[in-house]
Amino acid sequence: MAVKETIEAKGQIASPPLTGTELREKIRNFPWWIVGLVGFFVLTAHLVLTRASYQEAFSFIRAGVGVTIQTTLIAYGFALILGLLTGLGRISNNVIIQNVGTLYVELIRGIPMLVLIFFIAFVGVPAGVGLLNRIGEWFSQLGLLFIAQPLLRLENSAVPMTTRAIIALSVTYGAFQAEIFRAGIQSIGRGQMEAARAQGMSYWQAMRFIILPQAIRNVLPALGNDFVSMLKDSSLVSVLAVRDITQIAKLYAGRSFQYQEAYVTLAALYLMMTVVLSAFVKWLERRVRQDERNA
Amino acid sequence: MSATHEMIRVINLRKKFGRLVAVDGVNLTVRKGQVIVIIGPSGSGKSTLLRCINHLEVPTEGEIWIEQQKITGSQRQLNAIRSQIGMVFQHFNLYPHLTVLENVTLAQRIVRKLSKSQAEAIAMHHLERVGIADKARSYPAQLSGGQQQRVAIARALAQDPKIMLFDEPTSALDPEMIKEVLDVMLALANEGITMVVVTHEMGFARAAADEVIFMDRGKIVERAIPEVFFNQPAHERSRAFLSQILSH
Repeated sequence: MAVKETIEAKGQIASPPLTGTELREKIRNFPWWIVGLVGFFVLTAHLVLTRASYQEAFSFIRAGVGVTIQTTLIAYGFALILGLLTGLGRISNNVIIQNVGTLYVELIRGIPMLVLIFFIAFVGVPAGVGLLNRIGEWFSQLGLLFIAQPLLRLENSAVPMTTRAIIALSVTYGAFQAEIFRAGIQSIGRGQMEAARAQGMSYWQAMRFIILPQAIRNVLPALGNDFVSMLKDSSLVSVLAVRDITQIAKLYAGRSFQYQEAYVTLAALYLMMTVVLSAFVKWLERRVRQDERNA
Repeated sequence: MSATHEMIRVINLRKKFGRLVAVDGVNLTVRKGQVIVIIGPSGSGKSTLLRCINHLEVPTEGEIWIEQQKITGSQRQLNAIRSQIGMVFQHFNLYPHLTVLENVTLAQRIVRKLSKSQAEAIAMHHLERVGIADKARSYPAQLSGGQQQRVAIARALAQDPKIMLFDEPTSALDPEMIKEVLDVMLALANEGITMVVVTHEMGFARAAADEVIFMDRGKIVERAIPEVFFNQPAHERSRAFLSQILSH
């Protein structure tokens, strides 16, 4: 009996009853939006599980998830490389490289993404193929047929829309990521480069071993956010008839006239992917900040 | 004094930042084993002079010679020369993403191409020398300012430099940490390392300097051994400066 009372007393010490203000504070700070988000998922899941029309829409549209993720991942990889190179170019001492980098970034930033996708797919890629053909001719004149032949064999009509879509997304996001990398590099104090150069390292050694490791860690959250944005913007490639989830949902809706089913399912699928990714980015951000405090 | 013992020769150095003339026609020679302390009011060009010596600042005019070699625009040669000059900065400039040990080994490995074990052995030797070997696995941010600066000194020493440059090494430190850094520097001075030190620590200048250089407005005003400089400064501006900093 006495023991039980002690336990009860302890329990009371550990969590005293909340006062009115404390309770109000807790209610104010509780992330109710998560409840709303979960509610949306539960509702959609319920619809998919109980209604045949939703079930059909879901199983049809689901097939596009692979294309969406694949397109995003590949384009993101290329955008990272393009962004890093352009970011380095933007801070280069070489006037030509610096201006080419800046021109690229400013061009992309000033044009709507949808327009860019059309432009790159229907103007940029044909022009690129034409250029490669020319280079092929030039090589064949030099007698270097093993280089010339694959280049000459390229045909604009043979470039699939998926490839065009990936090129368009990479080129567009490369410009955004260039700005992220540039800001990240410039956020590292001048003293770091000076210390490295004073030790006899070359500019590129200092970049690689001293500046970039710090800069990239600092911009990881921003790069993660860009990945989420890219996943969403990949829906724009549906205008090129690439069969990503948006395109498939559009097709399904047009064929079955079940617009509500198609677009509720589509929105839920995107949201599912972005919520998971955003949570990962938030976790990353916390890690980076923690490291900063400890390191 | 044979010319072979001449480590640094600065000839008619001028450095302009825009319209501001930071260093205005400085000539200076430093011989092997000498400890030169440069003092002067802030903005007198003493840090700029020091930074020109290893080409962290590109001189507007004039020449810098390190051991009979002219520091030119050639990057490759410059990197090789720099690797023989240790530099210690006011704000330490340790690499925060690397451990203390990695801070000291990195340049040895990629500039001098030493193996990991060789570089670590050298690093531990110098970390012991500055009394901080027990922190080898820590990160810079886990150390106090004085400890960080001692690591920075060990990092510079690990290059096996012919010359050590110190750019106000104690100016960013809390007062109780200044002594531990000055003690290390004093020990180095007594070991015969060629040192050029920009500092406000007059006690160190008295104790360690072979010569004191007083700079004002980009020019060397006076150059003398410490006893003479501190007791009978020859110039009006040196006297004014000394009376200002020694009046408390």
